[in-house]
Amino acid sequence: MEIFITGSGTISSIGNNVAESIKSLRDQQTGIKLGAFQALPNYRVGAVPFSNAELMEKFNLTTEGSRTALLGMIAAKEAFAGHSIDPTIRTGLISGTSVGGMDMSEKEYKNFLEGTNHNPLNYRHHASGTSSEEISNELKISDFINTISTACSSAANALMMGARMIQQGMLDRVVVGGTDGLSSFTISGFKSLMIFDDEWCRPFDESRKGLNLGEGAGFLVLESEKSLVISKQTPLAKLTGWSNASDAFHQTASSPNGYGATLSMQEALNVAGLQPSDIDYINAHGTATPNNDLSESHAIKSIFKDNIPPFSSTKAYTGHTLAASGGIEAVFAIEAIRQGLLYPNLNFSTPIEETGLTPQLKFESGKTIKHVLSNSFGFGGNNSTVILSAL
Amino acid sequence: MYYIHAIASISHQDSFRNSNVYKSLTPLSDDSDVISPDFKEFIPPAALRRLSPVLRMGLAASIECRNQVATDFDAIVVGTALGCLKDTEKFLSTFLTSTSDFLSPTAFIQSTHNTIGGQISLGLNNHAYNMTHTQNNLSFEVSLMDAILCLNDGKKNVLIGAADEKIDFLATVQPDLIPNEFPLSSGASFFALSPAKSEIAIQAVSTNFNATNLLEDIGTFLDVHDISMEEIDLLLHSNDDIEAHFSPKEAINYLDFTGFHYSASSYAVHVAHDFLKYRHMAKYALVVNDLCPGKVGITLITRDEA
Repeated sequence: MEIFITGSGTISSIGNNVAESIKSLRDQQTGIKLGAFQALPNYRVGAVPFSNAELMEKFNLTTEGSRTALLGMIAAKEAFAGHSIDPTIRTGLISGTSVGGMDMSEKEYKNFLEGTNHNPLNYRHHASGTSSEEISNELKISDFINTISTACSSAANALMMGARMIQQGMLDRVVVGGTDGLSSFTISGFKSLMIFDDEWCRPFDESRKGLNLGEGAGFLVLESEKSLVISKQTPLAKLTGWSNASDAFHQTASSPNGYGATLSMQEALNVAGLQPSDIDYINAHGTATPNNDLSESHAIKSIFKDNIPPFSSTKAYTGHTLAASGGIEAVFAIEAIRQGLLYPNLNFSTPIEETGLTPQLKFESGKTIKHVLSNSFGFGGNNSTVILSAL
Repeated sequence: MYYIHAIASISHQDSFRNSNVYKSLTPLSDDSDVISPDFKEFIPPAALRRLSPVLRMGLAASIECRNQVATDFDAIVVGTALGCLKDTEKFLSTFLTSTSDFLSPTAFIQSTHNTIGGQISLGLNNHAYNMTHTQNNLSFEVSLMDAILCLNDGKKNVLIGAADEKIDFLATVQPDLIPNEFPLSSGASFFALSPAKSEIAIQAVSTNFNATNLLEDIGTFLDVHDISMEEIDLLLHSNDDIEAHFSPKEAINYLDFTGFHYSASSYAVHVAHDFLKYRHMAKYALVVNDLCPGKVGITLITRDEA
């Protein structure tokens, strides 16, 4: 059964919607700035430049929520625009998040530690599942709600879960993607791991030292053919391949040879019924940590051998948006297919010595892009790949 | 039918390697705690020191299931409502109070929800599909749905379970956020499911995220599966109104035995399995979970005599 994509939406530091985001990619304009996260001003991060209250007002949101939920509502609403709730179309929402309502919880827990004005009610948005319930409420979706939390592969796994539920007839239409708001918790966490680069992150470059964090959300609408007849939506692309595999090497580090990533890419190709040579562009996970990019480079070489298609990481534009990244990058993949685009990898000068791969370095349009493979790898050795295809 | 081939639970009951947890159910006291196995049997000492209760429970229960089935799992699905609370709180305290540029990353690394699934993959050296679902009170039920998708997709041996841990801080927020008089608790229950036949099976699971009439929902679920409440041999619920309305043959409020944590229905499924296994005349057990208002999960467990 074919899985059609009939909507997409995103918000991140490079744009409030799909069109603005693609323009930033076209202009090679990063959203990462020094001091963009007020509580920790000494870091370069990709922040959406609005407070929670401003987000609610600017985007006409009616449901309260954490930053993760609000960003999710904005992207999910853009994706779902033009759709309507119809009792004959069983509609669900599956969202990936890693921090849930941490932006609010960490402020309240500080009050608790300081013994002043502690209000436990402010943890009501904490649970990751609650953020998805809030997004669903804003979209009036209630047939099925689910949250996947596999760190940085969460959104890709949400796409996969949605596709499988449609294939097995459990849903007709499903809004899938991921969202994560910036928090002191995650910035301090990646700093403690010493994989937070104080400079601009440099994916796939020999000199890379680590990532820059970002925030945002990316959502798609998936539909079965049966649903399409009722909803009368025009498909943008198809979701044809998906896979998740476990690296089982280390809780946070990837195996040096990229074993889990190789398994994941191969299985996604199998699901799509494609050969490696069918892939026209790879949107790499490419976080710019020394470990990820080396491991992913080895995995790409294992799958594609000497015939590696154009590939790039868009993390140097948005920052690493954690659980949202697979959703945001799926949105970029759809536009790559529809507009024939190849996105350049910023801040690259020297290939990694051990693997020697050079990513796509200039913006190109008018290409024929039929199949895009997009990787998302998370803590816990959680490796996911999705393949998006032209109609 | 999705057949149960192994079960392991760590709970406030004496449940680990207890072949009939239904028979030995004991109401919890207010100061009840988890009854843990000797974790050293499952986890090397150096790792054990680092792992929080939810990680120890999830890992030990999974390894126990793996030992019972003696085959590698081809999918691992974990549900957790609140995830790794102890490490989350620890890292919050650390970065909010430290003035140092150098913090220990261990608590941060272990704070993400899928640390449980990640540790299971490492402990079992398993490279298969590895998923973590977190949906408040329905975290176990949506995980069970994913496990069923995996089995329908052709997987042969799926590990599915749920785990949640209590931390002292939860008592601070309980009056505002958890309107419930049951003692807060921890627990992990894991199951190996397969299409290969065994005595007891999960027949169906359903979720309703917009439940306005719980009793009607239960009726609809039974209708869909062509069963009447009179045929249900044991009803395990989290709301005494259900028992009062339906007057089933036999019923328990599972929170009396699990205490309150959002994935407690996973232990109820374990109880249902053991009840059916040792009550030879019994055929159906129903687990109804409505721990959060308007969010209902229903699981039907069956003895398959065919």
